[in-house]
Amino acid sequence: MAIIERPTPADTISLRMPVTPAQSMGIVRRPVTSTGWKSWVFTVDHKKIGIMYGVFAMFFFIVGGVEALLIRLQLAAPDGKILSADLYNQMFTMHATTMIFLFAMPMAAAFANYFLPLQLGARDVAFPRLNALGLWLLVAGGLILNSSWFLGGAADGGWFMYSPNSGPVFSPSNGVDFWTIGVQIAGFGSLVSSINLIVTILNMRAPGMTLMKMPVFCWMIMVVQFLLVFSLPVITVALVLLTFQRSFGATFFDVAQGADPLLWQHLFWIFGHPEVYVLILPAFGIISEVLPTFSRKPLFGYPFVVFSGASIGLVGFGVWSHHMFATGLGPISVAAFSIATMAIAIPTGVKIFNWTLTMWGGKIWYSTAMKFAIGLIVLFTIGGLSGVTHAVAPSDTQQTDTYYIVAHFHYVLVGGMVFGLFSGFYYWWPKVFGKMLNEKLGGWNFWLMVIGMNMTFGPMHILGLQGQPRRMYVWTEARAGEGFFNFGFWNRVASLGSFILAIGILIFLINVVHTARKGKPAPLDPWDARTLEWITTSPPKEHNFDRIPVVHHLDEFFHRKYQENTTTGEMVQIATGAQLVQAEEDNADAHIHLPSPSYWPIAIAVGVGTLGLGVVYGVPIMIVGVLIILGSAFGFVLEPSVADDIDYDPPMSGGQDTKELAPLG
Amino acid sequence: MAMWLFLGSECLLFGGLISTYMLYRGRVTQGPRPSQVFDIPFTSVSSFVLLMSSLTMVLAVTSAQRKDNHRTKLWLMVTASLGATFVGGQVYEFTAFYNEGLGFTTNLFSSSFYTLTGFHGVHVTVGVIMLLSLRGIISKDKDTGDRPEVVELIGLYWHFVDIVWIIIFTLVYLIPA
Amino acid sequence: MSHDSTLTGSEQNLTIFKGMIHSARLRRIGLALGASSAMFLSGCASNAPQDTWQPKGENAEKINTLQWMVFPLAGIVGVLVFSLIGYILWRFRDKGQAIPHQSHGNPTIEITLTIIPALILSVVGVFTFRGIFQLAQTNDTQMVINVTGQQWWWEYDYPAQVVNGVEIAQPIITSGQLVIPTGTKVLLRETSRDVIHSYWIPALNGKKDAVPGRINLLRIQANKPGIFAGQCSEFCGLSHANMRMEAVALSPEDFATWIANQQRNAESPAQATLADEGETVFLNQCIRCHQVNGLKKADGTAAIAAPDENVYAGAAPNLTHLMSRNTFAGAAFDLLTDGCRKNVWSAAPEEFGAVYLKGVIADCLNQTNIRRWLRNAPAMKPMYANPVKLEASDGKYRGMPNLGLSESDIDKLVAYLSTLK
Repeated sequence: MAIIERPTPADTISLRMPVTPAQSMGIVRRPVTSTGWKSWVFTVDHKKIGIMYGVFAMFFFIVGGVEALLIRLQLAAPDGKILSADLYNQMFTMHATTMIFLFAMPMAAAFANYFLPLQLGARDVAFPRLNALGLWLLVAGGLILNSSWFLGGAADGGWFMYSPNSGPVFSPSNGVDFWTIGVQIAGFGSLVSSINLIVTILNMRAPGMTLMKMPVFCWMIMVVQFLLVFSLPVITVALVLLTFQRSFGATFFDVAQGADPLLWQHLFWIFGHPEVYVLILPAFGIISEVLPTFSRKPLFGYPFVVFSGASIGLVGFGVWSHHMFATGLGPISVAAFSIATMAIAIPTGVKIFNWTLTMWGGKIWYSTAMKFAIGLIVLFTIGGLSGVTHAVAPSDTQQTDTYYIVAHFHYVLVGGMVFGLFSGFYYWWPKVFGKMLNEKLGGWNFWLMVIGMNMTFGPMHILGLQGQPRRMYVWTEARAGEGFFNFGFWNRVASLGSFILAIGILIFLINVVHTARKGKPAPLDPWDARTLEWITTSPPKEHNFDRIPVVHHLDEFFHRKYQENTTTGEMVQIATGAQLVQAEEDNADAHIHLPSPSYWPIAIAVGVGTLGLGVVYGVPIMIVGVLIILGSAFGFVLEPSVADDIDYDPPMSGGQDTKELAPLG
Repeated sequence: MAMWLFLGSECLLFGGLISTYMLYRGRVTQGPRPSQVFDIPFTSVSSFVLLMSSLTMVLAVTSAQRKDNHRTKLWLMVTASLGATFVGGQVYEFTAFYNEGLGFTTNLFSSSFYTLTGFHGVHVTVGVIMLLSLRGIISKDKDTGDRPEVVELIGLYWHFVDIVWIIIFTLVYLIPA
Repeated sequence: MSHDSTLTGSEQNLTIFKGMIHSARLRRIGLALGASSAMFLSGCASNAPQDTWQPKGENAEKINTLQWMVFPLAGIVGVLVFSLIGYILWRFRDKGQAIPHQSHGNPTIEITLTIIPALILSVVGVFTFRGIFQLAQTNDTQMVINVTGQQWWWEYDYPAQVVNGVEIAQPIITSGQLVIPTGTKVLLRETSRDVIHSYWIPALNGKKDAVPGRINLLRIQANKPGIFAGQCSEFCGLSHANMRMEAVALSPEDFATWIANQQRNAESPAQATLADEGETVFLNQCIRCHQVNGLKKADGTAAIAAPDENVYAGAAPNLTHLMSRNTFAGAAFDLLTDGCRKNVWSAAPEEFGAVYLKGVIADCLNQTNIRRWLRNAPAMKPMYANPVKLEASDGKYRGMPNLGLSESDIDKLVAYLSTLK
C-alpha cells in the first residue's frame, strides 16, 4: 500500500468512488484527526513515528542508565551490599537488553524514520502503516520486557542468555519468559520496519538520486536493515526453541537428553554479531553527515566509506564465533574466525581515515554536533584498537569475560554509538523541532560526557587486565591486589565516572527542557548544511517537500547554494538556504496525497502482545491474542491507503479540496 | 520487493530450524527413532499434493494477469483446498506419530521434528487463509489496489513455502539419519 | 606500586602524551591517550593475583608474548592516528578562511591507507595463527586431571596414573584447590554437570569453558612452586561471583607427599572426644551429600554419601582431606585466618611446599568463616537452597541449604572437620 506520489488527476478521481463506512470493516471510522493524542497513536506519518521512537528510546536510555548506576554503586567497593546477587544478575541482564533493544535500536530507528525520507527527497516511507506497526510492536516488546520487574523478577541470564543457564531449572522465575517474548516481539517490529526502510531506499529516492549520490547516512541505514533482515530470523529460531523449552517442555537445551548447549551460542551470535554493527553503523552514518557539514567539505572518499560500510556488514556475518573462542571450538575454527575478525578491522580503519581526512583542508566549525562527531572518531578508535587486541584469539582467552571486554565495547558503544547519536541530536534538533539546542549547555554536555565516559570505562581496561571478571555481583579484597593497580581504586574511579557521565546526560535533558521553553527559533539553514532534509521548513511540513527535488549532485543542497568559480576555483555562494526553501514553496506541487492514519497497526501490536503474555500465562490468553491479530490483520489488509470522505468527522464533501494536505505555499 | 526481502528472511528462519533438526535428529535417548515412525508413502502423497498446489497457483496468477476473475477465483480455491489437504495430512501424521509414542517432549528428535514441520504447517495454514481471503476480496470486487500484483505476491509466498517443504521432505524423510 | 623494567617504555609514552597536551583543544585526546597508556601501564602491577600479564607457565607465556606484540602495536597506531587528528583539529580550525575546495577524495591515499592496516594485520595474523596451534598442542602431555564444574564449585578428579614416577594408585577426588607438580605439562579435561562454567587461572593459561556434554582440553604448566588465583569466568547463575579457584604448584617431591596423603582414608577420631561427637553429627547431616572416604556408620558399614538424591548437579565436595586445602565453598572462603593465608601466598618458591603441606593447623583455622557457614550457608553465599522454592529442580538443592544446626552441634562439627587433614 505504497503512498501515491504526485498523482495524476485520473488517479485522484478513481479513488473517489462512492464509499460507505463498511470499507473500514463497518465498525469504526478511519481516524483522521490531525491534533491531540489520537493524531500520534494512529499516525502513519514517518516524522511523528520517528519522534515517538525517539521519546521511547530516550525513556529507556534513562531506565538503562539508572540500572547502570546501580551496578556501579554496587561495585564501587568490595563486597557491595546495595544489590543482592539475584537482583544484580537481573540488573546487568536488563541493562544490556534495555540499552540494546530498547534504546540503541529504537533511537537509530528514530533517526532512520525521520530523516530517511527527508534525505531521499520522499514524502513518506514505502509502507507507512507497516512503519507504525514496527513502532507499536517495539513498544509492546519493551513493555513486556520491563513488566517482568513487577511480575516476579526480571530475566537473570545475561543478555546473551546462554543455555542451559536460561533453562527452566536454572532460571525458575518468569523473567526469562518475559525476556524471550519481549525480545521476540521487538524483533518482529524491527524486521517489519527494516523491510520497509530497504524498500523505501531502493524505490523512493528523488529523481536523479542514484545510489552513489545518496547521503552516507541512508547507505549505512540500508546496510543495517539488510543485517537485520538476515540476522533477526536466526535469533527468532533461538528464541522459539528457548520458549518451547521453557513453556512447553521441549528439551532443546537439556544436556541430559543429548542436547548441545553450543547450539544456542551459535544461533545467538550469528544474530548477535551483526547486531553489533546494527548498533554502530547508524552512528557512523550520522557523523558522516555531520563531519562534512562542519568541515565545509564533502566526505573524503565517499565510495570507500560506502563500500567499507557494506563490507563491514558482510564480514560481520562471518565473525560470530569470536565470541566463543573459549568454548572449545578447536584450533582450526578459532584460527579462521580470528583472522576474519582482524579482517573486519580494515574497513573500520578505512572509515576512521576517511573521516579524519574529511577534516583535512577544511574549515572546521566546532559546534556541539561536531565535537560529538570528533569524540566518536577518537573514542571509537580506542575501542577499535582494543578490539584488535582480542582478535588475537590466544590473547582473547585472557581477556574475554573480563572488564577489559566491558571497557572495549563501552568505548565502541558509548564512545561510538552514543556520541554519534548525540551528534545527531544537536545537528538535527533545529530541523525536527524548529528550535536550536543551547550550544553552551551543549559544551557542558559534551565535556562532562567525555570526562565521565573515560573515567568510567578507561579504568575498566586496567581492571580487566588485572583479572576482574564481568558479571560478578561482588569483587573481593582477596583478589584485588595492592599498589597502584588494585581493584579498589579503579573501581571507585569508574563508579565516580559513571555519575559524571550521568550528569552530562542530565545536562542534555535540561538543555531539551530549556530549549522547549526558551529556545530561540532556528534559522532554516543553521549549519550551512549539505543534504536534502534542509530544503524544506523546520519542522518539515507533513508532506515534507512542496516540490519533489531533482538531484544532480551528492550534497545537492550545498551545490544549490554554492558554485565553484571556474577561474579562481573558489566556492561562491549563489543562494541562501532560506531562498532555496522559498523557491520550493513558490513552485509547490499541485496535488499531494498522503496516507491516512490507521487504527490497525496498534491493534495488531496489542494482539501480538496479548499472544506473548499468553505464552507465559496460558493458552486462553493466547487464543484471545490470535483473534485480535486475525481481526486487525483483516482490517489492515482491507483498508484503503487513503481514508474515505465519510470517515472524516465531519464527513468531507468529496470535493477537490478535501484530502489535500498541501496548503500550497 | 518487500515480499522478496521477507522471504529472504524466512530462508534464514527455516535454515536455523533445519540446522537444529539435522543436529538433533540422531539424538534419541528414549522413544521411537525417525525410521520407526515415518510413513514415507503417505508423506510422499501429501508432498505431491502440495507440489500440485504450486501448479494451480501458477494458473491462478496467469488468470489474474489476464483479469479473468472467474478462473482466478477457481484456481485460488483449488490451491487453497490442496493446501488444506496437506495441512490435514500433517495433522493426521502428527496424530499417528503421537499414538506411536512420539510426543513433542519425548526426545530431541521429536521436539525438533515437530517444531520444524509445525512451523512449516503454520506457514501453509497462513497461506491458505490468505488465499481464501483473497478469493473473498475478489468476489466482493472492492477496490483494494492492484489485484494481479496481490495474487502474484501471495503466489510468491506460496511457492516459497512449497520449496521449503521439498527441502524439508528430502532432508527429514528421505535421507536417513 | 612496584616497578619493573617494562615501565620505562610506558613512561616514555606518558612523556609523549604530556607533551601533546599543550593546548586546550587537545585535552580530549590527551584523556583518550591517558586511557590507552593506562592500558599499557597495567602490564606492570605486581600484586594482583589474577593479573593477565604475569605468566607463570609455558602456555601463559606464549599468550603473553602475543600480548606484548599486539598491545604496543595498537598503542603506536593509536598515537599516530590521534596525533594526526590533533594536528588537523588545530590546523584547520575556522580562522575565517574561504569555503574550501570541494574535493571528493584521493584514491591513491585511500588505497594506501587500506593496504597499510591490512599488511600490519596480516603480520599479526601469522603470529596469531601460529600461537593458536601451539596452544592447542596436547600430544606431549605428562599428566591428566578431570575438572568438573557445577554451581558453584569445581571438582578435581585425578585418574589413576603415574606422574613423574609417582603412582596415583587410587583416583583422587578433591575440590577448591587444584594441586599440580611444577615443570609438568598437565592436561585438564573440563566438563560441567549443569550450566556452562569457564576455567581460568590467568598465570597458567587463558580460559576454557566447561560445557556440559562436552570435554574441553586446557593445558597448563607451572614453572615454580606457588599458588595462583582464578575465577569462573562464564556467567553461571546466582553465585557466579563466588565460584573461584586456586591452583597450587608443588615441586615433584612435595607433590609426591601430597599424593600420598590424599590416598589415605580418613580415620575416626578418638572415642568420647568432641570430634567423635562431631562425627555423629556428620553422619546425621552432612553425609547426605558429602563423602568422607573411610567413614563408617555406627553399625560399622561404610557411610556413602548420596548427593545425587539431594543436589541437582549430583555432586558435593569430598571432604576427606578438607584441612589439606586452604579454602572451602568453591574457594570462595578461606579456611585459614588472614595471617596464615598471607604466609602461604607470600611464601618464596623454595619454602612454599613446606608451608602449604602443613595444611590448616589448629591455630590457623578460620573459626569465624567455618562457623558462619555451618550456621547458615546460603546467607554467606547465595544459593538455591530454600526448600519451598525447589519446584523447578525436582526438589533438589543447588548449593548447600541451611541445616539449622545448634551451636553445640557446630562446635562438634568444627572439631570433627579439623581432623580431616
